[in-house]
Amino acid sequence: MPDLTLTKVAKSFGDNTVLHELDLHVRDGELFTLLGPSGCGKSTTLWSIAGLHSPDGGMIAFGDRVVFDGGKVDLPPERRNCGVVFQSYAVWPHLTVHDNVAYPLKLRKVGRRERAARVHEVLELVELDHLAGRHPHELSGGQQQRVALARALAHPPDLLLLDEPFSNLDAKLRERARLWLRRLQQRIGVTTVFVTHDQDEALSMSDRIVVMDQGRVRQIGTPEEIYQQPADLFVADFVGTVNVLGGRVVPGRDGVAHISLDGLGDPIAVPAVPGAADEVRLAVRPEQIVVHPTGVAGPGAVNVVTTQVLSQAFLGDHYRYVVGLGTAELVVRTAAPVDHDAELTLELPPAAFRVFPAG
Amino acid sequence: MTLTTAPVPGSTAPGTGPAGRPGRSSARTTASHYLIWVVTLVLVVGPVVPIVLASLWSTPLYRSGGHVTLDNYRDLLTDPAWWGAVGNSLAFAGLTTVLSVLFGVGAAVLLTRTNIPWRRLFAGVLVLPVVLPGLVLIVGWMAMWAPSGFVSSWLTVNTVLAFPIDLYTMPGMALVATSVAAPVVFLFCRTTVLAVDSSLEDAARSAGAGPLRALVSVTVPLLRPAVLNSALLVFAVSFEVLGLPLILGFSNDITLVSTYLYDNWINASPPRQGLVSAGAVFLLACVSGLLVVRNRLVGDAARYTTVTGKATAKRVVDLGPAGWPLAALVAAVLGVLVVVPLVGVVMTAFTTILTPLIAPWSVLTMENFGAVFANPIWVESIRNSLLIATVGGLLTTLAIAVVSVVAHRSDFRFRGSLQQAVLWPRMMPGLVTGMAFFWAFAILDPGGALRSSLWALGLAFAVRSLALGYGVFYPALAAIGQDLDRAARTSGATWWQATVTVSLRLTAPAMGACFVLLFVSMLNDADPAVFLVTDRTPVMGLTMLQLAATSTGGAVAAFGVVQMLITVVVLGAGRLFLGVRAHA
Repeated sequence: MPDLTLTKVAKSFGDNTVLHELDLHVRDGELFTLLGPSGCGKSTTLWSIAGLHSPDGGMIAFGDRVVFDGGKVDLPPERRNCGVVFQSYAVWPHLTVHDNVAYPLKLRKVGRRERAARVHEVLELVELDHLAGRHPHELSGGQQQRVALARALAHPPDLLLLDEPFSNLDAKLRERARLWLRRLQQRIGVTTVFVTHDQDEALSMSDRIVVMDQGRVRQIGTPEEIYQQPADLFVADFVGTVNVLGGRVVPGRDGVAHISLDGLGDPIAVPAVPGAADEVRLAVRPEQIVVHPTGVAGPGAVNVVTTQVLSQAFLGDHYRYVVGLGTAELVVRTAAPVDHDAELTLELPPAAFRVFPAG
Repeated sequence: MTLTTAPVPGSTAPGTGPAGRPGRSSARTTASHYLIWVVTLVLVVGPVVPIVLASLWSTPLYRSGGHVTLDNYRDLLTDPAWWGAVGNSLAFAGLTTVLSVLFGVGAAVLLTRTNIPWRRLFAGVLVLPVVLPGLVLIVGWMAMWAPSGFVSSWLTVNTVLAFPIDLYTMPGMALVATSVAAPVVFLFCRTTVLAVDSSLEDAARSAGAGPLRALVSVTVPLLRPAVLNSALLVFAVSFEVLGLPLILGFSNDITLVSTYLYDNWINASPPRQGLVSAGAVFLLACVSGLLVVRNRLVGDAARYTTVTGKATAKRVVDLGPAGWPLAALVAAVLGVLVVVPLVGVVMTAFTTILTPLIAPWSVLTMENFGAVFANPIWVESIRNSLLIATVGGLLTTLAIAVVSVVAHRSDFRFRGSLQQAVLWPRMMPGLVTGMAFFWAFAILDPGGALRSSLWALGLAFAVRSLALGYGVFYPALAAIGQDLDRAARTSGATWWQATVTVSLRLTAPAMGACFVLLFVSMLNDADPAVFLVTDRTPVMGLTMLQLAATSTGGAVAAFGVVQMLITVVVLGAGRLFLGVRAHA
């Protein structure tokens, strides 16, 4: 399987720049996810790779095969040898499951017997060999999606491209499909580019993720890196739930940095502040805030505050409290309900904070 | 999984050449797109050029010599008869539009949103005139409602009633035109009425409005765009219509723009072809201008009203006891406008003489049909029309399908202009289309081999019905997700392979529907034939027009019945096998 390289790929529609000179490298055999809100350019990127859109400039190469290079090279989609699973699945309604999967093989003039064997093999892979004679309208959404996948894998492709393949499945099915697809991908080892706006999907399936926003790369990293060390506030906010607090650096103290928050008496201790910023924003994940149900923190605890409970909600597997911290609001979560008397004692470990310059 | 990752033997990506060279196949695709584009533009827009040339040239284009001149325009603009015709056309089109909007909107609301009895039947009868050959209906009107007609004289003789309008006057002509145009307004408005989100009315209901109040204060105002749209269309079409004024305007010498042009070409001696070309340019400018205004006002969506609205179960307003009297009124109006004229054609066809003084069943005969089939010209025109409708309908359907996929499913650089080109013929009055092809053939085919063949007529009819067919085909194409094409492309299909195996394959039913409607339209079309027909190429529509304009009588009616029968059979078959909704 080849790797995939995008160099300075740019695309605009009229005045609207969708991709700003995008550089990406997808390694051989990895599952690489393009994650971002709608309109961030992730689908445009995927379609540029597939050859369904022509970028305005830049270069795209599969291994050392250049498929797009500015005005010089622009292979049409049929000559790029990608397998694409569309959001709508795009399973041809007039063909049976078997004929859908056989289509790419027919175009490649694979002999009849070989073709039948290959179709059988791929359908077996997606666990649909028993439905080969059905038409798409006789299949469930999940089954149609697997037909689309089988078709995409049939030729076999140099690259597998998945455009939000799970968005039309219900929540339960989606979770199962994720696990299943991930295992399948690892088994085949096909280099895969996956587009989604769903952070859970991205975190649970990917080898690496690129977070995109308005046609720019915000961060590239493993799921853990993206979640635990977000490069900026956008990434922190987009991936997972995060509390963002505005504050000012308090000068004159040594060792750790201290940040004063509006309406809060004592400043909060945080890890080192980047650069010489004065105004900063603090990001802290709800699950990293420690709640002390008894109202007493252990010895050596820092950043212990008592807060007013503003609202609470039961969300099935956890409880969520919104509390007032100074003039700001903070979301915290606990596994068990807290008998709180309208006040909650919280510990905010310095390591839980990510500090970003304001603005 | 070595089996899965190992490439299937011989399965390189199709046509994968050395990386970087644009493939031969995609170059061929682009070339084919250019070819289709050029042919379409030449056929559709090209013929207008010779009309303009002819209007600016001192002698007919098929003669040598001559020079550029504005005389034709001067003659036209200084001819008082011309200005009389323009005034008449404006009055006729205006009156027809007002009447059609009144009847059409009323019927749309009454028949789709109230529980008036027999509303489905009424709607079916109302749209009949759109489907049937228009000239046949006019023959029926004359047989029944003309001053000497069967029903009007029966009323005068046997009752105190009388048919209040003389068909051979302007109001009479407008009334006949209304019976054909009102259903158009009805269809446009019904689509809108059905598409109105019923929660809008529910909101008015929950705010305290009664059902009727909600209907009148919410849904009826929402009809405004549809009314404007259809009214402009009706006005434009009435402004150019030829058959009706030719037949009904004759006895009182009421000349419209179309009949003015017809007379000066056919009956003037020598034919004033330059003058007529100048008039055609004028007519084209007016009608195109109107329709451009309409498109601006309404936007593109309204062009595709051929998709009849989804027949969701709309809550209907209960009329209570008022329902029956209203139904009687609707029945009376439809009786006068549609049923009686149609019965009239049939009765005239099957009797030797139709008069209230003799009981029709005592003079029953098949002789009229014998006369039709004994007349070689009439038989030939039926045969020619069937040929044009079948072969022309098929080829035009294919052309529309191919042009549509290039216009909507390709990266072709000029695909936008292709969409415009397909819709452009809708702006061309039928007379102008015919004349355009006449001059085009005069220049390009001086020998007249093509012009004297059926291909000439077929080509003109085809171009004229492009927009109609496109209106049927395009919604079906648009309903097919583009991802289906893209999936084929990424699977390794070239653009044409993907188009043929996916888009066109999936739109096959729409092509069937398109063919049926084109067949009917080309079978009955008359206007473009006026300038193109030769002794050897008579067609049904024009033969009927010439007959109806000069005589009444059983044979003409019998010819009309034959024409109607073919139409009904084809539409019925289309409805049965393809689910074609006839009222495009």
